[in-house]
Amino acid sequence: MMSIISHYVNRFKDSLHIDQNIRDGVAEELYTHLEEKTQELEENGLSREEAGKIAVQSLGSPELIAQQIYETHAQGSWKEAIFSALPHLLVALLFTSYYWQNIIYASIILALTVGIAIYGWHRGKPIWLFPWLGYYLMPVVITGILLLSLPQGWGWVAALIYIPLALFVFIHIMRQTARRDWLYASLMLAPMLVTFTWFSSLGTVNELLASDWMARLHTNALWIVISFIALAGATIAFIRLKPRRYKILSLLIPPLAILLSVTMASRGHINSLGWLMLFFSLSAFAIPVWMQARAYQ
Amino acid sequence: MNYGRELLKGNTDSLLLCLISRQPTYGYQIVKELEQRSNGYFQFKEGTLYPALHRLERDNLISGKWQILPNGQQRRYYYITERGQQVLANRLATWQDFSTAVKSVMQTETT
Repeated sequence: MMSIISHYVNRFKDSLHIDQNIRDGVAEELYTHLEEKTQELEENGLSREEAGKIAVQSLGSPELIAQQIYETHAQGSWKEAIFSALPHLLVALLFTSYYWQNIIYASIILALTVGIAIYGWHRGKPIWLFPWLGYYLMPVVITGILLLSLPQGWGWVAALIYIPLALFVFIHIMRQTARRDWLYASLMLAPMLVTFTWFSSLGTVNELLASDWMARLHTNALWIVISFIALAGATIAFIRLKPRRYKILSLLIPPLAILLSVTMASRGHINSLGWLMLFFSLSAFAIPVWMQARAYQ
Repeated sequence: MNYGRELLKGNTDSLLLCLISRQPTYGYQIVKELEQRSNGYFQFKEGTLYPALHRLERDNLISGKWQILPNGQQRRYYYITERGQQVLANRLATWQDFSTAVKSVMQTETT
């Protein structure tokens, strides 16, 4: 049977969503504290069970300690907040200056994003990493979609080879991120949701390189810039806010507002593949928040 | 509102820094020492100790290191940093001025 101390420490760990190493370290400290107090009370003549109960009571609610520890560690610095928002601002810059049409600028930004994402992944997954990771995953998903638009059934052949590989990479990164904190998975997928929202509303995938599609992109460039600046603002708020419920709100509202307003403004121009992309990105974005809500219950 | 509790809450960080500056120490020891040194006046709520220690560590005022004892048990000892010593010195000076000022006002009131 699980001891009262182990049960207490497990409740603490279940309530704390921060870096696993920090969480395990604090849990170990609490465990040591409880063990020492229990031993001392046992030496004073109490039974193991009674001593454990008193030790646990004197520490108080494990959920409250978890909340206070979370608030100490969950707030990123301004430097981290700005660095997290930087990929959104870079994308906004691409559209402000129409640099996205220049293959050199676009490649530099892509290489920078991939480099920073890989660096952060291997340096302990700091809080600033996740938005960069979202952009890192985007080419993986977009390549799969583009493959589907290859002519004469070749698309499906290529996609059947590519999609399992892409899904493996995607699910692996999602699992690793969610293990750190479910909300970081949503933070990571927010740019994908916004990008796919625009992608879907501007026309079909087959038209992607057509001049008409480019013209629509030009027309909407200002709104695209505003969307990514809003996403940068949401990211800064997410990193800087302490209470978890405010973090959730700051994460949910801007991307969903962009999704709603863009799909409504597109007046039914979204085709079935577009809706599929939106469904995929919306589910991937919302599932972590839903998991979080379930964990609260 | 409990005035004594509010006072303790406002000075928890300074008390912790002061204790840790005397010698490296660990969570359970801190709780006992606070109670002992204050002759039982500070009944520290044990659960609030660890968030306070982690806040001080985040602000680089103390640093924690795991140590293995001869019996194999592990403890996390906290050490004061150079920055922690400076902050503590400032707080002690402020506290001296504050307490002298409060004393002189209170004594005037009671005489």
